[in-house]
Amino acid sequence: MQKADAGRPRILIAEGDRNVRDLQAYFLNDAGFDVEFADDGQSALDRVRAAAPALLITEILIPKIDGLALCRLVRSDDTVGDVPVIVFSILAAAARANDAGAAAFLRKPLVESTFLAAINGVLMKSNAGATAP
Amino acid sequence: MTTRTASHVASDRHGDPRAPLVDGIERLTSGNREADYILGGGFPANSINIIMGHPGSGKTIFAEQLIFENAGEDRPILYLTTLSEPLAKVVRYLQGFRFFDETKLGTQVIFEDAGAELAKHGPDALIPLLRRAITTQAPKVIVIDSFKAVHDLMPSVAERRRMVYEMTALLTAYGTTAFLLGEYTEDDLLLYPEFAIADGIVEMSRRRLGNRDERYFRVYKLRGSRYLEGAHAFRITHAGLDIYPRLVSPQIPEGYEPSTERISTGVKGLDAMLDGGVWRGSTTLLAGPSGAGKTTIGLQFALEGARLGEPSLYMNFQENPSQLMRTIRNLGSDPDVAQAQGLELVYASPVELQIDSIIVDMFRRIQQRQVRRLVIDALGDLASAATDPQRLHDYLYALVQHFAVSGITSILNFETTGNTIAGNGMQNAMSYLSDNVLLLTVDGEERTRRSLRVLKTRGSAHDTRVQEVEISAAGLAVLDRA
Repeated sequence: MQKADAGRPRILIAEGDRNVRDLQAYFLNDAGFDVEFADDGQSALDRVRAAAPALLITEILIPKIDGLALCRLVRSDDTVGDVPVIVFSILAAAARANDAGAAAFLRKPLVESTFLAAINGVLMKSNAGATAP
Repeated sequence: MTTRTASHVASDRHGDPRAPLVDGIERLTSGNREADYILGGGFPANSINIIMGHPGSGKTIFAEQLIFENAGEDRPILYLTTLSEPLAKVVRYLQGFRFFDETKLGTQVIFEDAGAELAKHGPDALIPLLRRAITTQAPKVIVIDSFKAVHDLMPSVAERRRMVYEMTALLTAYGTTAFLLGEYTEDDLLLYPEFAIADGIVEMSRRRLGNRDERYFRVYKLRGSRYLEGAHAFRITHAGLDIYPRLVSPQIPEGYEPSTERISTGVKGLDAMLDGGVWRGSTTLLAGPSGAGKTTIGLQFALEGARLGEPSLYMNFQENPSQLMRTIRNLGSDPDVAQAQGLELVYASPVELQIDSIIVDMFRRIQQRQVRRLVIDALGDLASAATDPQRLHDYLYALVQHFAVSGITSILNFETTGNTIAGNGMQNAMSYLSDNVLLLTVDGEERTRRSLRVLKTRGSAHDTRVQEVEISAAGLAVLDRA
């Protein structure tokens, strides 16, 4: 599946904090991404299955399905399992995010340079994997 | 970001095992080494902190030192002035400090005056202003000077709480360390909502003492981190704040055992009275009236150390170094040779004495030169420098413990008003704390007769008799034992 097309790649973010959302939207739009938000883990999973994004970013502490469970569900899905996931959380959970299949883990608070570097790194790796023979 | 972990600080601070540490917390240096020590390594990164104190207490200088020390090429630092002091005034006085670096202005350190916008649109203008700053400047540190001035614009408690909540949510979402400066008083701690959300609270205070002021730095709160409690004295200099962390008693290391090595006092006959000298690491209280020979014994003790190659420190509050060097010559020694061998003479004026600065200065010298012998001449001057008798007692106790653990052998001179040691609270306390207590007396009408008596030696036998002593060109000597 080619997710990052020649246009603006779409990133789906499961995040409940309004201030974090505002900053993510600002920095990602400014960096050339389209951003879509989900309020909880279930709606994020539904959105991924309905239209696979280039990347899913999720907080762990979100309602209905937590971010780690969401990550595992996406990664084990036959149709959207290659959507990379970044766990971006207030919790120190790098090892648990890795176990859940996340491509990267970032600890809050948001720092623009680190955030964008991680996203670009994951997308580059994902695209390389998608185009590999 | 100019951050470091607490362990870096602890390692360069006297090796103090009590240095407050929390592993793994990223820190933002305050730009002040001693403040970092008090803060357990600095402020936790990405935290919200309040710097409180009356006008003129040093808040702005502390914050300015912090921003210039943290300024780098990664992300800028934003200093927002509000309705307390116009930006032009802040920058004008800032230029007099050594940490000021004009080349960093506008790029690494950005000063902005939010006063006009706040005056026009009210306190709610602060949130969009901060959001705009975050998205356009990406500041790693934000200082708001004064936040209390913004707070005071809000008429109702409900509005204040809402505004503080919204600001906190924004600053928490973004990776920045914020400092809210304000002319708060201690009473405000329970009333103002910003104190509830603050991760760190530091107070600068000033206390009038006769014709001079004493300033203190105190940490009220530091979430997720230990810190050195209590009031720490400081002075404002051209280099910024010169802080003197309160001396605390050292933790007795595991396996610590008092030394069993005897060392010579350098006074003829005295070692014999002490059953072979004093224990290394012991503290000796040397009491006596003026002219009894305390300074002479202290100098002989320090000179003997230098002669044996032991770095020795003579802290003196009465005679300046030139006077002391003359006294050393009168004792038959060459002061230049003694200093080359490791004797350091330090004079502090009794007029400008502040006990915290004296103690910190002394410890710096002890650490730098690995001092093995120390003389304090005299304790009474230290007492006059202490505004709080309990603080003095705590200092002396901590000093004696530090000396014992570090193997520093010390003599503490104390001037009595007569030939008795009884009746003075500090002497009584020091007699209890000291390992050895010696009393010098002066008598005689036609001829001055000086005597020495050993009142106490801890863990050792001693001569219990009163022994006559004599001061000659060769120094003080015990006549019967010389």
